[in-house]
Amino acid sequence: MTAINKKARGMSDKTSEAILIGICAIVLLLVAYPLYYVVVASFSDPYEVYAGKTFLLPSGFTLEGYKSVFLNDGIVSGFFNSVKYTVIGTIFSVVMLYITAYPLAQKDLPGRKFISLFFLITMYFGGGLVPTYLVVKQTGLVGSMWSLFLPGGVGVGNMIIVRNYFQNSIPHDLLEASRIDGCSKLRTFIKVVIPLSMPILAVMVVFSMVAYWNDWFTALIYLGGQGSPLPLVMRNILIKSSATASQASTISGGYAELNKLTELLKFCSMIVAALPMLIVYPFVQKYFEKGFMAGAVKG
Amino acid sequence: MKRSTKQKACGLLAGGLLLALLPGCSGGLVSNVNNGTINPNTDQTEFDIMGGMSALSAGYDGHEVLDALQESAGVTIHWETMSDSLAEQVNIRITGGQLPDAFMGVGFSNYDIARYGDDGTFLDLTPYLTPEIMPNLCKVLDAHPEIRAAITMEDGGIYGLPSGEQMTTAGIGAPMDEAFSIFSVPQYSMINKAWLDELKLPMPTSLDELHDVLKAFKDNDMSAKYYGNAAGTTIPMTTGFDEWCWGQNIFYSGFGFTNWPNDVINDIHLRSDGKVEFVCTTDAYRDCITYFHDWYAEGLMDVEMFSQSDSQLIAKCQQGYVGVSTWWYIEELMGDYAKDYVFLPPLTGPKGTQYEGTCGVTIRPGTPISSGQLNITNKCQSPINLLKFFDQWYEGETVMQLQYGPIGVFFTGKDDKGMWLSISDEEAREKYGKSGGELRNVYEVYGPKLVLAEYYNEVFYMEPRAIERLTDLDESWMPYVKDTTFYPVDCVFTGMEMETIDWHKPDLESAVREQEGLWIKEGGPTDAEWEAYKQRLVDKCGLNDLIIAYQDAYDRYAQTR
Repeated sequence: MTAINKKARGMSDKTSEAILIGICAIVLLLVAYPLYYVVVASFSDPYEVYAGKTFLLPSGFTLEGYKSVFLNDGIVSGFFNSVKYTVIGTIFSVVMLYITAYPLAQKDLPGRKFISLFFLITMYFGGGLVPTYLVVKQTGLVGSMWSLFLPGGVGVGNMIIVRNYFQNSIPHDLLEASRIDGCSKLRTFIKVVIPLSMPILAVMVVFSMVAYWNDWFTALIYLGGQGSPLPLVMRNILIKSSATASQASTISGGYAELNKLTELLKFCSMIVAALPMLIVYPFVQKYFEKGFMAGAVKG
Repeated sequence: MKRSTKQKACGLLAGGLLLALLPGCSGGLVSNVNNGTINPNTDQTEFDIMGGMSALSAGYDGHEVLDALQESAGVTIHWETMSDSLAEQVNIRITGGQLPDAFMGVGFSNYDIARYGDDGTFLDLTPYLTPEIMPNLCKVLDAHPEIRAAITMEDGGIYGLPSGEQMTTAGIGAPMDEAFSIFSVPQYSMINKAWLDELKLPMPTSLDELHDVLKAFKDNDMSAKYYGNAAGTTIPMTTGFDEWCWGQNIFYSGFGFTNWPNDVINDIHLRSDGKVEFVCTTDAYRDCITYFHDWYAEGLMDVEMFSQSDSQLIAKCQQGYVGVSTWWYIEELMGDYAKDYVFLPPLTGPKGTQYEGTCGVTIRPGTPISSGQLNITNKCQSPINLLKFFDQWYEGETVMQLQYGPIGVFFTGKDDKGMWLSISDEEAREKYGKSGGELRNVYEVYGPKLVLAEYYNEVFYMEPRAIERLTDLDESWMPYVKDTTFYPVDCVFTGMEMETIDWHKPDLESAVREQEGLWIKEGGPTDAEWEAYKQRLVDKCGLNDLIIAYQDAYDRYAQTR
């Protein structure tokens, strides 16, 4: 009886494995093909793409899109601006998260509930664009890089994840032990807490990094056209191209040709803007899953 | 973090929009005391002007035409111009009370102009429109009282300088008072003549005949057969849905109307007896939608007509998949296949119905005269100096250079009739590495440019494509227009009327559009559905209020003419 069962299970293991692999392959295709399609489309004649002629290989191969992206003067400075904002912003945000979340994780902090509530409210209510702008303007930050970091420096959602991690994954006994061994509070934080919270640190670094890399709206509002990050440069290239096309659409003609470039630029700019993140992502991904679950589930 | 940033951005945006909508929030403004009287101060010679510009423009500092105008008026202007997020920035400045001396090229709506004029943000320019201060503009306004009427708000004030481009058939020789705007008929339908000939079919003249032709295109899979495309790629007819120059509206002419997308409000029609009606509640409209559902159900109209973008339409047409479509220029839409296409004239209604022999192409108004391109604010100390600068804009040669580019760059010289000649595309590429259109984008200034119809006969030639389009309009399309009335786009509304329109217009337009699409797709309407639809337009979308508002405004307009 048992033998038969075993045998049967062995067989079903194999089948289920095959089914699982099949399902995974389908999911992989569903996820990977659209990405691949954008890559292909960025090398193809957009009108052939829209007419449904492109499948696995570019049709009507062209490099025009990349040419006009990379010939733009702003693209290199935009890239370095983005790197600068991403690095500084990420360091700033993660430091702020840590020094906010750690005290809030301490049960003996006076007024802990009130402070938590204070943070929580901002998750539900915002000031609106104009008042926020006026505040930033009155603090004299408009036009400065810090207007990108200071107004939204602490992501409250992230802060709660980090706080929960501190509360649940770092044993309180450990902190007490280090105190008994004569470790100061600051030293405990630096030598014990930070090394122990590497997974969540990695997650926060990735979150902030992606957010700062993709952010163009804050830069659009506050920087006033100076020191534009890469997504904003891309956006301007696209807007210029579509403005030329739409002007041509009314009277002067040549819309179809100019519009072709605009459509092509959409695909190219997606690739150019996303590529750096796609390259960085796999290196931090292994921390990512572990840390994210650690903070979230036990919350 | 991703999600929370998005949420925040949404919240910020929504908040910003809300605030922009609340006029009560502009509490910090100083009320204007100069209303109706002239401010004789001429001390200020440096002005801050904020406004829009073309995305390709490098800004107006060092713009040779503007610099020359500033010098001759003795003023210096600090430009703060942008091509992007202009509306947000302007709202921020107005609500924050940090006004420039003037806004230029913003394109305020009449609703905004009246509101900001009323609360004193914008100066009333009426007392300044004298031959001493603004000689050129006065000359224009005296010759064109309709322009003065269009920029005068309901309270009698003029809060901005006029702008507009009168590109009409007058530019190709039509008499000035019988000229029609280049946008009178926005959609030119076209058909693949080569396919017709191949199938030995005559040019259709009625909707029934077109129906049979489209069916023949489909049954014979002409795209595959004639152009060697993949089997089954033939799209008998594809257009957009209620789109500007690529919509389906031209085909409705067989039912006696063409409800073009309209700057006033969609589906409005002014009957020749001066009564305003909305075609979307007429029986002809109902019969029309019912009729075209059959086409859709038979697969003659593209299933993607409701969702496609113009890029997708061009893509299909340039592959040679398409039998019938609309645009204003065959070469543009059909690309390499253009030689096989010809214009398909407006068709008459289906045979055996009351519409047999009906062909009612109506026309739409041209671009309006607006006073939202230059508005002086209450911060300006010496409006006289600033207005002297802008008065120069109302000269043919100046506005020509502001619209296209400087003499010596865009305009190369005069011909023997004394008309300015513009640079050719090849020359522009050779000298500046740009096409003529791009060159124009670099130099064009957004602002109170009034390009009068007569300039095209006296100062410079219209662009060649515009001439071509107007010629097509005059020769191929206007002969089918029997009723040339249209609701005038420069009607002036009272505050109450503007409230009504502002409140109901978006609702009505989207309700009609949505329902029309559904009926074409799914068939209908039944009697009950039709009644419920009309009731909904009246109850929920303020149809009757809108009719009254538009009728009253038109009656006043007609009286003053």
